[in-house]
Order: sequence, then C-alpha cells, then structure tokens
Amino acid sequence: MQVNLLEFWPKILEATNETLVMVFIALVLACLIGIPLGIALVVTRDQGLMENRPVFNTLNIIINFFRSVPFIILLVAILPITRFIVGTSIGTAAAVVPLVFFSGPYIARLVENSLLEVNKGVVEAAEAMGASTWQIIYRVLLPEALSSIVLNITIATIGLVGASAMAGFVGGGGLGDLAITYGYQRFETDVMIVTVILLVILVQIVQTLGNYLSKKLRRL
Amino acid sequence: MIRFDQVTKTFEHEGGKLTAVDQVNLEIKKGEIFGVIGFSGAGKSTLIRLVNQLERPTSGRVLINDQDLSALSTRELRGIRRNIGMIFQHFNLLETKTVYHNVAFPLLLAGTPKNEVKEKVEEILDFVGLKDRAKHYPDQLSGGQKQRVGIARALATSPSILLCDEATSALDPETTKSILKLLRKVRDEYNITILMITHEMNVIKKICDRVAVMEDGSVIEQDTIFNLFSNPQHPTTQKFVQSVMNDEIPASILSEVESRHIYRVTFNEGTAGKPILSSVAKKFDVDVNVLYGQITELQHIPFGNLVVEFQGNQEEILKAVNDIQQAVRIQEVKVDAS
Repeated sequence: MQVNLLEFWPKILEATNETLVMVFIALVLACLIGIPLGIALVVTRDQGLMENRPVFNTLNIIINFFRSVPFIILLVAILPITRFIVGTSIGTAAAVVPLVFFSGPYIARLVENSLLEVNKGVVEAAEAMGASTWQIIYRVLLPEALSSIVLNITIATIGLVGASAMAGFVGGGGLGDLAITYGYQRFETDVMIVTVILLVILVQIVQTLGNYLSKKLRRL
Repeated sequence: MIRFDQVTKTFEHEGGKLTAVDQVNLEIKKGEIFGVIGFSGAGKSTLIRLVNQLERPTSGRVLINDQDLSALSTRELRGIRRNIGMIFQHFNLLETKTVYHNVAFPLLLAGTPKNEVKEKVEEILDFVGLKDRAKHYPDQLSGGQKQRVGIARALATSPSILLCDEATSALDPETTKSILKLLRKVRDEYNITILMITHEMNVIKKICDRVAVMEDGSVIEQDTIFNLFSNPQHPTTQKFVQSVMNDEIPASILSEVESRHIYRVTFNEGTAGKPILSSVAKKFDVDVNVLYGQITELQHIPFGNLVVEFQGNQEEILKAVNDIQQAVRIQEVKVDAS
C-alpha cells in the first residue's frame, strides 16, 4: 500500500493543480457574470434605483432556471454550448464552462442578498447629497456590502470545489475525479483518503481566507 | 426661501390611495428654524422629502428661492441637492468609512479637489467638536457623536438649507439638548435655514422660531412658537402643548379645593412682572389661591401659566375676573367633579 501511494503522488499533485485551476478560472468568470447580475437584480427590483419590472423578471427567471438544475445534469445538458464556446466537450477547459453556468447565477443571488442588506437610509442619504445612480452603486452599495459579498463568494467557492469533483464526467480531471476513478472504482482506499484530506484542507484554507478578507473589508 | 404652494403627494398602493401630504401651503424664511410637528403618519416625513425632491409632488409646487423644483431635470436637481443638507433619525452614516471620510463623502461626490476637501472637513469637524474623532469608525461612536458626524456631513457642501428628519428622536434628553444647541449654532454662525420635523414638542419649544402642526397630511395650525404655545387653537395642538407644559391640576390639590371658581391666567411679555393677582385681591373682596403654576421661556420671552382659585362671593369674583381680563388672558377651567 505504501508503495502504491508513492506511485500515485505525481498524479495527486496533478489532480490538485487541475482542481485549483478549474475552481480559480470558473470563480473569476462566475464573478464577472454574477456580480453585475446581482447588482442588476437589486437596482431593477421594485423601489430600486432603476426600477424596471421586465428586466428584473427576465433576470429572475433565467437565474432561477440555472439554480434549479443539478450540476451533474447541467454538465451534460449544456454540452453543445460548451463545445461551441471552448471548441471541445472534454478536458479541464470543457469542465470550466458548466462550472461557470452553475456558479454565476448562484453568485448573482448571493451578491443580491448582500446588497439588499445595505441600510436603505444610507442610500437615501447619498441621494439627498446629490449622488447619481452610478455613484450610489459603486460608492455606497458595493463598499458597504463588500465584506458580506466576500463571505458569500467564499460560500460559492466552496460550492465550486464540490462541483468540480464531478468534472471527471467530462474528463476534466481534478481531485474528485481521482478519488472516484482510483479510490472508488479500483478500490485504492489510500488514494481516496488522501484526496479527501486534500479537499478538506482546501476548503479550510478557502474559508479562513474568506473570513479574514471579509473582516478586513468591514473597514475601508 | 422654501415655499410650498398647494402641495399634494399621493401614494398609490395595492388596494387604494394614500394622501400623505394634502394641499399644504407653507413659507419658510431665510435663516429661520422652522419646525413641523405631528404624530406618526401625519405626513411630516413626506413633507420634508419634498424639499429635496426625494419625493416628487403629485400636484402643486415646491419652490426654493422662487425656483420651481418640479421643473428641474435630474441633473439640475443633483446640483440643488448639494445646496440642501439633510440629517436623519438613525444618522445613516457609511459604516465602512471613518468619520473623516463620511464627512468628505458629499465633497467626493461633487468632485471637489483633495486639498480643498481636507481643509473643509477639518474645519467642520472642529465646528461640531469631533476633531479628535476623525479616524474613528461610526460603530465606535455614541449616538450623539454619530449625529454630529451627520451634521458635519450635511454642512460639508456649505448648503443654505438644512433638513432635520427626527434628528433627535433616537437620542437621550441630555444628548438631544446638546444637538439642539449645535443646530442653533449652525443657524447663528452659517445663517442656514433649518426645517425640522419631529414628534417631540420639547424640541420645537427649545429651538424653533415658528412651527406648523400637521395632521392627516394637512397643516392644521401654524404660528410663532410664542403664539402657538400661549394660545393653541386646534385640539391636536393643545395636546402637543400640554405634553411639555403640563397644566392639569393635580388630583390631590383638587380634592382640597372647596369652591369651583378655578381659572387659568396666562402671563406673557410685559405682564409677567406685574403683581396682577395681589392687586385684584386688594381691589375686590376676593382671596386668590394659586393651585398650580409654571413659568417658562419661549424664544426668550417669559411665559407664565397659573391656575388659581378665587374664594369669595360670585359677584366679586366676576368683577375680579373682568379686571384681570383687561391686562392678561384668563379662562375658566372646567373641573371634573370626580
């Protein structure tokens, strides 16, 4: 067993790297989509800064749609889109596409919640000072909600780590894939244990980092 | 300075309409501290928000220096708003920013150069007495200090109008006193017109020059502080006046009073110093028994309120009352026999 594990060490390193790359790229892209969407949800809703019912309802339905499909099904269902975007439907890059579709709408919801927590009175005060809508968004709403947004994105990141484990289905690799193909299908319990420990450590690091950042951002 | 011309604001919601402000006419003069008092739901909050157009009137006009605000574009309105400071019941400070950056915030929005910002912020923090708190965050301050930051922030853009939305309602009586003193200083030193809404008659009594009483969206009475307190007309106004000038005769005293010839005598400027009651007692065959009394100052004018009992025969008492009436206001008090 000991020898077995040594043999697998390079594979474990490679898988860890794949997980980190998948999660990181998917997270960045999902934030780029999710944060503006979350802002849009807040400003277009009833009594919002740019109240617009058709826009709000459309966004709301689209986001709910993606939020209601389990990741493993989403992964398969959007294969044609994946192929269209990255040119292939297998490999790490192909796994990133469904991960973004999965966590982008999730982040939009989380950001929406964070922004809604901002004291309405502060927004009113800014309006009374002559702030434009855009100024209210980036000088009041975002800075005041930043600490909470970071905590919520931490949650989304951990969700991404979990979802990325299913990426093996499209040959995306990563720690989850390793645990299933070697640990589960070939009964290599050691590999299974090591990958699980690595995933636990990864989640701990992400959460600790998120907590720390969030605390720092409470005072800008 | 600020003029409401037949202003009405109606909110439509599911199941009906709510008229928050109903055909209000008001004129607030430059440099004046004008109070609007009313119970909750009277429409005061909406009224004050019409001044900086956080609420747009459904009909009628709001004018500032004879300029009709409803005719302005959003961009023009933003410029006007920089000329109108506003402070709030719950302060509404940016929690993530220091005191310094909270006060600098309106200047940042206006695109003021950095060195000017520093100079202005330091000057105002000194004015409100928070120079040593510049680096603190709002959650490190007391309520009174937070409101001082609110006032400093409202003054940063050198406005000519300051709106106070229940500015002292979340503060204890001592802190309220110090904030009101600061507001008076704001008016006296910067000659800023102050419009304040409150449900506390105490606040009105301490600092306002004139006051309007609101009920169900309408202004039911408006006058100078002295006139309103000494001679309130509307029952609601009377209730408010009573809340700070308690003139109900204590039951224990009433039980000792034998006759039912009880009158309220109201003294004001020029009469507070005269021995009206004792001279009446000498002139007529009556004895005067003071049951309850209070002398206070309204806008630096002494104002007295005495509840007295006359003892003697009916005729002499009527003569005495008539004599007093020549000099001051006197009204019979109906006493509930129970």
